[in-house]
This record gives sequence, C-alpha cells and structure tokens, in this order.
Amino acid sequence: MYKIISDDKDKGGMRMITLDKTDLIEAMTDFKNKGYYLTCLNGVDMKDHLDVIYFIHNFDTNDYISVKVSTNDEHMPSLTKLFRVADWDEREQYDLMGIVFDGHDDLRRLFLPDEWVGHPLRKDYDLKKVQYVNMDSEGNEHVSFDEKEGS
Amino acid sequence: MPHYTELNIGPVHPSIHGIFNFKLILNEEIIQDVKVTLGFLHRNAEKLSELNLYADNIIFFDRMNYIDAMNMELGYLMSVEKLTGIEPPERAQWIRMIMVELNRLAARLVGMGSLGLDLGMLTPFFHTFKEREKIQRIFTEASGGRQEVNYFSVGGVYQDLTEQMINDIKNFLPQFKKNLEDMYNMFIHSEIFWQRNRGIGIIEPEMALDYGVTGPALRASGIPYDVRKDAPYLFYDRVNFDIPISHEKDNFGRFMVKVEEMRQSIRIIEQCLDKITDGPFFNPQGKKSLMLRIKGNGEAFSRVESDAGEFAVYVNGNNTTKPNRVHARSPGLRNLSLLPVISKGLMIADFIAVVGGLDPVVGEVDR
Amino acid sequence: MNLLFKLHQWFSFLGNYASFGIAYLIETIVVLLFVTISFIILIYVFRKYMARIQLRIGPNRVGKFGLLQLMADALKLLGKESILPKGRDNMAYRIAPIITMMSIMVSFIIIPYGGLYYFGNLTTTNSDITLILMFGILSIMPIGEVLGGISTRSNYAILGALRGIAKDVSFEVPMLISVLAIVMVSSRSFVTGGSTYNSLSLAGIVTNEVIPYGIIEPLGLIVFFISMVARASYSPFDLSESDSELISGATTEYGGMRFGLFYIGLFGMVYLGSFLVSLLYLGGYNGPVSSQLGFIYLLVKTIILVLIAFLIWVSLPRMRIDRFVQFGWKYLLPLAVINLIYAGVFVLYIR
Repeated sequence: MYKIISDDKDKGGMRMITLDKTDLIEAMTDFKNKGYYLTCLNGVDMKDHLDVIYFIHNFDTNDYISVKVSTNDEHMPSLTKLFRVADWDEREQYDLMGIVFDGHDDLRRLFLPDEWVGHPLRKDYDLKKVQYVNMDSEGNEHVSFDEKEGS
Repeated sequence: MPHYTELNIGPVHPSIHGIFNFKLILNEEIIQDVKVTLGFLHRNAEKLSELNLYADNIIFFDRMNYIDAMNMELGYLMSVEKLTGIEPPERAQWIRMIMVELNRLAARLVGMGSLGLDLGMLTPFFHTFKEREKIQRIFTEASGGRQEVNYFSVGGVYQDLTEQMINDIKNFLPQFKKNLEDMYNMFIHSEIFWQRNRGIGIIEPEMALDYGVTGPALRASGIPYDVRKDAPYLFYDRVNFDIPISHEKDNFGRFMVKVEEMRQSIRIIEQCLDKITDGPFFNPQGKKSLMLRIKGNGEAFSRVESDAGEFAVYVNGNNTTKPNRVHARSPGLRNLSLLPVISKGLMIADFIAVVGGLDPVVGEVDR
Repeated sequence: MNLLFKLHQWFSFLGNYASFGIAYLIETIVVLLFVTISFIILIYVFRKYMARIQLRIGPNRVGKFGLLQLMADALKLLGKESILPKGRDNMAYRIAPIITMMSIMVSFIIIPYGGLYYFGNLTTTNSDITLILMFGILSIMPIGEVLGGISTRSNYAILGALRGIAKDVSFEVPMLISVLAIVMVSSRSFVTGGSTYNSLSLAGIVTNEVIPYGIIEPLGLIVFFISMVARASYSPFDLSESDSELISGATTEYGGMRFGLFYIGLFGMVYLGSFLVSLLYLGGYNGPVSSQLGFIYLLVKTIILVLIAFLIWVSLPRMRIDRFVQFGWKYLLPLAVINLIYAGVFVLYIR
C-alpha cells in the first residue's frame, strides 16, 4: 500500500497529493482502477532536486488531482504502461527537462533535434551557447556550436 | 508482397495547418504507418516565460494558439491571478468572457474554412474568413491587435469596452447568425462532403480518454466533458448554454459538434451583453505602474476550454518578479498523438481530412 | 458556301494544291486565334466569377478592369527560369506538356463551328469520321498527364498520375457508350426529319440533329456531361491534381511555361467539353430563327455550359479516388448501357 506524504485540499485551486517516488506506480494503478486518467505531467527544476507533477482527472466524479513526486537523480518510473498519454508527455519532459523515465520504450527527444546538447528548461542550462541546426541532403538534422554550420 | 512508398506530408504542404512533418508509409494509397516529427515551430515559450516578468509573458501565450489567443491569455492569467491574489473585478470578468467567446468563434471559423480547403472546396474558406475579419475588427478596436491581441492584463483587461464597441458586437451577432447558417449549409448540402467525412478517423471514447484527447474531439466521441461546465471559471455558471455531443465518433461528428458550439457561443455572448455590469475594468493592484513589480509565490494551476480542448497552465513562483516554472498543457499535442493510431488503413485523402478535422495548431503543439 | 472554298478561290492563281494548302493554313490560324482569344476571355471571366462567389474582387490591377492580367501571368511564366528536376526522364518530361497542349489544339480544329453570314461554314476538317477522330484525340490527352507524372520520379507526381489513370479508365467506357447511342439515333431518318447525313462525322450528326438529342436521351446527356467534367478534371473530379493532398499531383515538378501549358490544357478542356456537349446533345449550330447564325447559337450554348461548369468547379469538394471509381463503374456504366438499350428500342420500335 502506498503512503501519502501530504494531502493539501486547496493548493493553488486544486487538491495536491505528495507521494514518494517508489510508490508512484502503485498509486497510479490504484487511481486508474478508480477511474482516473492522466491528463498531463510536468517537471519543475527546484535547483537541488526535480519535482514531477502528474495531473489526473476522473471524468465521472469531476475530480481533478495533482500528484507531486520528487526525485534527486533525474530518474522516474514511466507511466506509459498505464496511460498512453504519458508516451509523448514523458518524451517532452525528457527533451526539455532532462528527466529520464525508466521503462519508456521510445525515449527520444520530441521537439529538439536528437543531437541537441543539454535540456533547456533546466536552471543550469547555458543560454549563451548558441547551437546551430543544419540539414544534409538526406534530410538528417545535425547540431553544432559552430556558427558556419548554421547557414 | 506489397510495395511500400514513403510520402512526406509537410513541413511545407498546402493542407498542413502550420509546420509538422508526417511521414506516411503507403501501400498504394492506403496508409500503413504514420511517423510524426514535431518541433519546427518550437520556441520554448516555457523557458522564455521564466526569463521575463509575469506581465510580459502574456504575449508568449498569445503566440501559442495564435488563432485562439484570448483563451491562451486567459489560461495563463487565471493561474497568475491565483498565485498573486489579484482578483479581476466583475466587469473585467464579463469583458473577458465576451472576448473569449468571440475568439472561440473566430478560431472555429478558421477550422471550418480550412477543413473545406482540405477537401478541395475553396469557396467556404473565403466566407468564413470574411466573418472572422469582422471579429478581428472588434479585437482591433478593443486592443490594437488583430490576432495576437495581448488584451487581458493581470487583474483585468487592458482597456474598457466602450458603448460603441458593445454596439458593434450587438450588431455583429444577428448577421453572423444568419451567415453561419449559410456557411453550414454550404458544407452540409453537399453529398460529397458527407462521403468524405463519415466513418473516417473514428475515435472510441475509451481510446480518447487514454490518449488525453479533450475538446470537440472528445465530445464527438460521446463524452460531455467541457471545462466551462465541469469546473466553471469566469461567470460560466451564471449563463445558460448546452454542451453538444455526438455519437458519430468520426470526422463528421467533430464538424457538427464544432458548429453547434458556435451557436452556443453566440448564446453566451448575447447573455453576457445583457448581464454586463458597470464598474472598474481592472484591479488597482494590477495597474500599470505596479504591473512590473508583481510577485508570486507557490503553485497555481488553472484550466480553460480553448478551441482545441482543455488548455491548462501551471505556474510556479519563488517570490520574485519572474516565474520559476511555467507549463502549458497543450490540447493539440494530445489530439495529434492519436493521429498515427486512427489513420492506419485510411487513404491519403482521408488522412488530410482527419488532420483538418482535428485541426491542430502548430504554435500550441510545439510551444 | 464553305469558308475554305472561298479562300481556295481567292488563291486559285497559285494552282489547285497550293491554294488549298494556303487556305487550310489560313483557316487553321484563324480558328486557333479565335480559340486563344476566347481562352483569355474565358479565364478572365472565370477569375471574376469565382471571385464574386467567394466575396472577393478578382483581378483589377493590370489594364482596364484587370483585363490584361492573364497576359501579365503568361509573361511572368515565360520569364521564369526553366527548372528541371534531377531524376527526370528527360524526353518524357519535356514532351508531356506539349502532348496535352497539342491534343487540345487539334481537337479545336476538328469541331464544326457552323455558318456565319458572310463567312459561310467555318468548319475546317471535312472528314467522314471526325467523331472517331475527336474521341481518339481525347484519349491521347491523358497520356501527357501520365508521362508528366511518372517522368519526374516524385512520389506526389506518381500518385497523381496513378489517380489520373484510374479516373480515365472508369469514365471513358460510359462516355463512349453514350456517344454510340447518339450515332444510333442520328442515323434514323424519322428522328432527323428525313436527312440521314453521315452519322460518324460531327458535322453530320449536328446536321441530323433537328430535335436536340438531349431531349431524346436525357440519360445520355447526364452521363456525357459528367464524363466531360471528369475529362477536364476540375473540382469534384480533380483527382490527378488533388492540390490539397498531392501538392499539384501529376504536374508537381513542373514550373514556368511548362506548367502554363498544363494549365491552358485544363481550361481548354473545359471549353472543348462544353463545345462537345452542345454539339452532340443540345443541337449544336441549329437554332430557331436563321441558319445563317449557326456559329452564334453554338457559342451561346457553349458559354452557358461553361458557366455551369464554373459553378460546379467552385462549389463542390473533391471526391475520393475509390469513390469515383465506384461511381464510374457502378452508376455511370449501367446508366450508359440503359441509355444504349433505350436508344435501340427507340430506333427500332417507335415510329
């Protein structure tokens, strides 16, 4: 049985549950059996650790809950086995926030080119370093820090 | 053994709404597989929002779903207002509601016209865009912008609606009602339109929920979920309107739901115009001189019903003038993620019609 | 008196063969000039008409009322760089637009235009089998499209060409069967009021056409009109172009004046199709008052048909290819066969 660390009834206009990372799959399976669906998830860089917030919604009882999970090592269990929507959402968070979802079959970048260095939404991402994207005649994208490549 | 052809639809293609790339694996004309590449319009608005002040971020949200800019602004501002505690006064809320519904009409008109264009029907496109232009003239009058309006501000709106503008809207509605029926008939009285739309792109309700589909696509699958009814924001609990659903589950059902929602939007605007109250149009806490010093602390999450579906914004503040994290839930991305599943076994022409029916806007998908 | 013979008489000082040759040449040029000028007017009318339906203004910048817009467009197309795709089949790529254009031009020479006061009969080709010749040329036309599609090795163009072939196969059989019914009816004297002129030539059919065949065979008229829409491949049946799916279908890789030739071919086919429908089904150059006005009657009927075609063009969405093939084989073909049987019964038993 999973353990709810805290349950805040009105946090920014909605109920927020905090869970431990190891309990996530179990809790989500339980929520799924109760008729909840995942609507979206997003990662927050808190500098010393990463928060991942899952928003789940029950369409019958009209109940919207956010589930907050913290992680220190950039790894999270993947929810793709439970909800199909997690597929692209986790790819997006991996792309922009750099959270590795263990158990995701196809964890590629969603928006940025595959060769991109770094994850832009992280606080330690260096915005000064410009990366240039180029495409060869085969249609493959290449990324480099060299200004001449971008033309 | 069948022979497979690869066909690139996009990034530059007449009937892709924005810039996606779909790689179709074809067996003659039948689609075997679709590979979607996104990110051609990716600007990372979420990162940009972290680098700018709360009040400056509104324009990045305008540029997400650029044809439904008012709803995008509203989603962001509702979160910011929850975070900072700056409540908009009553008149501002009515004005917001009128503008949001007008913009929903404008966005639906674009979707309708471009669906016709995707089916090879050029004429309705111009008719819908002419009506949309009238709505945009109202926006220009109110905000100075046609499409990316930047009209709402923290705790109110940028400028009050004058008597003149309210009269403009009142004059616009009756003739729009008539023109909407004309445009609707232009589609619906064509046998070929029925043939091209019925029975393609079927989304089963269970599948729709699993993939996070919302908006007209979900309602066309028979689930009456609308944020305006289920979690009323603004004054949606004070007006009467119905949520149309369809059990067709296909492209045709989606079209019918969208048209019926336009009729409901007209109803909402009419009621709003009756009920609008006098008073201040912005909260003094959010006035222009204080706008740059707005600070937020904690987390806030709000959702609105946009053109494509449930648009939700998460804002995290750490007691500075810039947000710590902004996340936008894009409904178009979820609708699009279903596309490879529902388009297996369709023909190319159907695929184009399905994309036109789902109507993803690339600015919001890529953000 | 035939215009051709008049010209022949004027040049008779050159000897028999030379004067006939020059007479043919001059008349061909005159007819083609007429066709070109009416093309220009037609495209202008189409653009204005389409603009009105779509709440736009249409061309109004070049010349008075935008009349010279097409000239400006043609000059722009001529001035464009000729871009040749890399993986093309050179010969086929270059010859394809010419085939389309040539077959349209040759078809216009075959049409019997009827008489006009002073000029006499304007018909150029006086052969016994112009009907067969005409439909022969019409079946050459799609070859240009198909060659253009497959020679460029672009996937869009190949798909467009395949759709074009599927479309052609499914409507040409009903089209020819409905023409066969016309030949049967026009060879019987009780229909034509005594005259049984050669019924395998277009001129003969029209001369026999005292009652328009569209009244005798309304079913044939419908089948033939739909076939002509499909042959010209505009809006409900623009399957080989499919501009919202296949960019521009078979002509995707063409640019400049090569594309312009395909474009003229499209408009020319709308015009030619209207000529054929009015000749075969609506009485051609026969009219109520004076037989001297034949050419005017033909032109008026044709222009009305062209306007109907434009209305269809701007108001209908495109059919899906499998639906069209089904439509061709399941509806058009049975209708055409019923029409043929009806024509046979009509000719044999109704006196």
